[in-house]
Formats: sequence, structure tokens, C-alpha cells
Amino acid sequence: MTNTGLPLQLSAVSKRYEQVAALRPTDLTVDAGEFVTLLGPSGSGKTTLLNLVAGYAEPTSGQVRLGDRDITWLPARHRNIGMVFQSYALFPHMTVGQNVAYGLKVRGRPKQEIERRVDEVLAIVQLSGLAERSVRKLSGGQQQRVALARALAIEPDLVLMDEPLGALDRQLRKSVQLELRRLHDAHRRTTIYVTHDQEEALVLSDRIVVMRDGGVEQIGTASELYDRPANAFVAGFIGESNLLPGRVRATASDRAEMEVPGLGCRVSAGASDGVAAGGEGSLLIRPEHLELRSDGGIPGVVEETVFLGELQSVRVRLETGERLWLRRLAAPTLPAGESIRIGWQPERLRILAPA
Amino acid sequence: MTQLPLGLRVAAHVGASLVLAFLMLPILAVIPASFNEARFIRLPPEAYSVEWYGAFAVDQEWRSALWNSFWVAAWTTLLSVVTGTAAALGLSRLPQRLNLALMGLFLAPLIVPLIVTAVAIYRTALDLQLNSTFAGLVLSHAVLALPFVVINVGIALRAVDETWLQAAAGLGAAPWTIFRTITLPTLAPGILGGGVFAFITSFDEFTVSLFMVGYQTKTLPIKIWEAVRFEFTPAVAVAATVIIVLTILLFALAMAVNRQQGEART
Repeated sequence: MTNTGLPLQLSAVSKRYEQVAALRPTDLTVDAGEFVTLLGPSGSGKTTLLNLVAGYAEPTSGQVRLGDRDITWLPARHRNIGMVFQSYALFPHMTVGQNVAYGLKVRGRPKQEIERRVDEVLAIVQLSGLAERSVRKLSGGQQQRVALARALAIEPDLVLMDEPLGALDRQLRKSVQLELRRLHDAHRRTTIYVTHDQEEALVLSDRIVVMRDGGVEQIGTASELYDRPANAFVAGFIGESNLLPGRVRATASDRAEMEVPGLGCRVSAGASDGVAAGGEGSLLIRPEHLELRSDGGIPGVVEETVFLGELQSVRVRLETGERLWLRRLAAPTLPAGESIRIGWQPERLRILAPA
Repeated sequence: MTQLPLGLRVAAHVGASLVLAFLMLPILAVIPASFNEARFIRLPPEAYSVEWYGAFAVDQEWRSALWNSFWVAAWTTLLSVVTGTAAALGLSRLPQRLNLALMGLFLAPLIVPLIVTAVAIYRTALDLQLNSTFAGLVLSHAVLALPFVVINVGIALRAVDETWLQAAAGLGAAPWTIFRTITLPTLAPGILGGGVFAFITSFDEFTVSLFMVGYQTKTLPIKIWEAVRFEFTPAVAVAATVIIVLTILLFALAMAVNRQQGEART
């Protein structure tokens, strides 16, 4: 499969507004054809980063390169980047076709070529035959597709998407997610996608950049972030987690031993960078790595059981007072107050630097 | 919405109708007056005829006054629409405080008593030797028409979404192209509304004109004023009817266009 699109490289890019750092100096490399998601809560700097790449804001420092061009100070109109806005930003006084053709028209392309390209792109987003329709007459999902078609029509070197599914209802969001994934697999256009929805990030991305407070917390594939989160913030943001505080007793290469009062014992497990003997740490136990035991393990009491379809979540209170979520395949509901014993798979635990 | 009792609703309608009649009837009375057959305005006319419409149409002075009014209004509209739109765009990009302060300046002609504005313009025009000239008349009318354009375009500007402009720039459009293809079409209803107000403001402007017209640039309202003092023939009523009908037609046009735009938008 050929990659269409160029690699992007950010070097120490930062943005300050007055005294507020919207983005701390950040390095990021996106390979040609890669789909990278910026994931973080609002105010984490992900939209600022996107605007710097798109050319809607100027960086306070650093350099942005697209392919072998330095675009740091290049006006947005010369960047050849396709942007999909959260609000879609469709031109309301134009038809679907006119919206999609806009970028080609201002480039002065011949009329026939424009018509051909508009048909082509509308077919890609499955809106063939709607070119004459006013964009105001479209549903939210259709408007979202027009916005995508408009961005793709100019054969961009890079596609940027700013929470493009935020305005859609949950059902539609899921199908459009898969649609975007399929489109990217077919065309492999370099893409940066912004969202605060971890599920979206997991479904779509080749790599995910987790952001917080204007800085990057961790960059990695979905499974890297899930299995080996850099700290408690990343662990909490991706997937469900039980995080138990404790004091680190000893470290050796990439493992550590930690005293965990919540469990009433010492635990030895793989550790993330930044975990130091004598310091604070967080023990990560994913709910699916906890299991019921008939003997062994530690005792606890069922507090509540939540039905999740094919799964069920059980909240267990330990004798130390600590509460843990346990997730397992659906089974007869455990009544509240039932005494049980739980255990874990020691090799799946992680000791993390505090958030 | 809460429904008022029937009695109150009837009373409200009757009251509103009376106020409307009080405001409108003296104006509308001009229309039957223009169909007098007699040489003096009688109301109601003893006999109806369109004789004075004919007289109005062939009279050199009435014709040139109507013609002058039309051209002055047309140039005033052009001038105030271009400068007023530019002003509204500029104002919208200023910091809030400066925006408000300058807005007050632009709206001053609406607030300052007209006679004060008229004297001020007259005095300034003397220095510039613009009195009694066509250009002087247009400029003075544009001062009065400008606030209507600034207000109307300013309101229309709120409908322009910043992300449309960003999207257009991202698609490769240069600033002037963005203005022509995105901003201007969105502002069109506001510009049209402001233009209609500007045209009407100029077309029936009297006070400032009285100071600024010369023999060659006499406008319709000035000619009416003279005719009322010296002749008082039904031709005066004809001229007044022309102004009223034109005003109503222009407003109807602006409303029809805006309604059509509004429907296309939803």
C-alpha cells in the first residue's frame, strides 16, 4: 500500500498566551501515512498543537516541518493541509458540491478536473448524488462527511481532524469511527486526529499521544499505552484501572518492589520510568486482571455488581477498606455482602510513577 | 406564551390600531389629496383626477428635483455602503473598549440634533467650498446614512463564523478571496438592509439639504417645501406620494429578500 501524504516533524514547538503556556516545548514525529491521535482532557494543549500545525496560530518557539519544507511561518493557505473542524465549518451559502470544490476552485484548477475530483471524493465518503444539495439540508453525519470530503479534495499532504465526531450521537459515532479507519487504511494519508475520547483513540490510531497541561505525557501504540503506561495519569485515561498508592522499597533494572497498604502486603512488579526507591508509587491493577479464587488470594466483600452486557463489573471491599473493581465474563450476579476471595496475575501488575 | 383574556386582547388590538391610525392617517391623507382636480388641495377632493400627476411629470422643476434626489440618494447609498461596511469590519476587529468608543462616534449623527449636525456640516463645507455642489450634498447625506449601514452590517457580521474563514484559508484561499466568497455573501442581507436605509435617509432628507442645496442641486423635499410656501398645488401631494410609495416599495423589497435568505438558511 502506498503512503500518500508527507511526514511531519515538530521540534521543541511551544505556544504561550501572555503568561500562560498553552503548549510546553514539544517534539513529535509523524511518519508518512501514519494515523496519530492527540488524546487528552480539554485544556491539555491538543487543539493548540493542531492549530500550530494548521497555521492558525504561530508558535512562540520551535520548528514545524512537513516533508522537507519548514512551514513554521508559512501562511495556512500555502500549507496544503486538509482540516476537518469540530463544528465542520461548512460554508452555509453553498451546496455540497461547491463546498467540496472550494479548495480546487481557489487553486484555479480547470472546471472539468474540479467536477471529476468532486465526484471522486463524494464517492469516497459515500455521498454520491448529493452535490446539488444545500449543506443546511444535511444531517449531522452527512455534514461531517462533507467536511471530510472538502478536506480530502485538495489532495492534502496532511489531514488534521479536531474532534470531528464530537457532535454526533453515540451510535453514529461508532459507525463513522470504523468508516474513518477504513478510509485511512485504503488511502494511508498522514493524519493527526484530536479527541478526548479514549475509545475513539484506541479504534483509530496507529499511535496515540497522551497530553496533559500543555505537555506530552506519553507516545505509543494503543497496546503500549495500555500495558505499559508511563504514569498513573495515562493509566487512568486509557482503559479502566485500579490505582493503589504505596511506597517503593527497592528497584532493580525495570522492576520494583512496593509496600501497598491497600492490599496489606508487598508487591513486586514491572515498573515505569521515574519509579525510585523510597519514593511514592502507584500500583496499577486492570480490573480484568483480578479474578475470583476459591482458595488463596485475599478476602473481601462484594459491594455491588454492574451489568455490562457480556461483562460484569464487581466492586470488592477488602479488609483494609480499599475498594477494587474486578471485571469478568457475565455470570450469575454476586449478591452484595457475599464474602469472596480475589487474586491477580502477578506478571500483569505495573508499578507507576505517581500522576 | 400566556394567553390574555379575550376582553384584554380586543382592547389591546383596538388601542394599537388607534395609535397606528393616529400615526399613519395624516401621512396617507396625502395620497387622495394628490388626486385632486382643483388647483388647491382640498380634502376630501371634490372631484378626482390624475391631472396633477401629468403636471408633475412635465414640470421641469419637479422633474429635475426628482432626478436630483434620485442621483444624490444613489451616490449616498454607494458611498455609505462601501465606507460603512469597511467601518463595521474594522470595528469588529478592535478590542471591545475601542470598538464601543468608536461605535459611539459613528452613531453620533443619529443622536446629535439634526439642526446641529446641519449647521456643523454647513460651516465645514464653507471652508471646503462644497456648498451648493452635488458632491457636498452627497457627502453630507452620507454622514447621516452611515450609521444605518454600520449598524446593519455590524449585526450581520455576528453571523460570520470565524472557523469558516479558517477553513477557507486552509483550503488555499487568499484573504481577498475569502472576503469575496465567504464574508461578503454572509453580509449581503445586512448590506442590503443598510443600503435601503441609506437610500431612504438621503431621499427624504430635508434639514441638512436645506443648508447644502444650490439652485442646480435642489432635491425633491426642498422643492416640496418651496412649493408649499409659494403655490400649494396638488403637485405637492403628488411629490409627497412619490416619496411615500418609493419608501414603502424599498422596505418591502428589503424584507422580501431577507425573508427569502432566511428561508434558504433554515
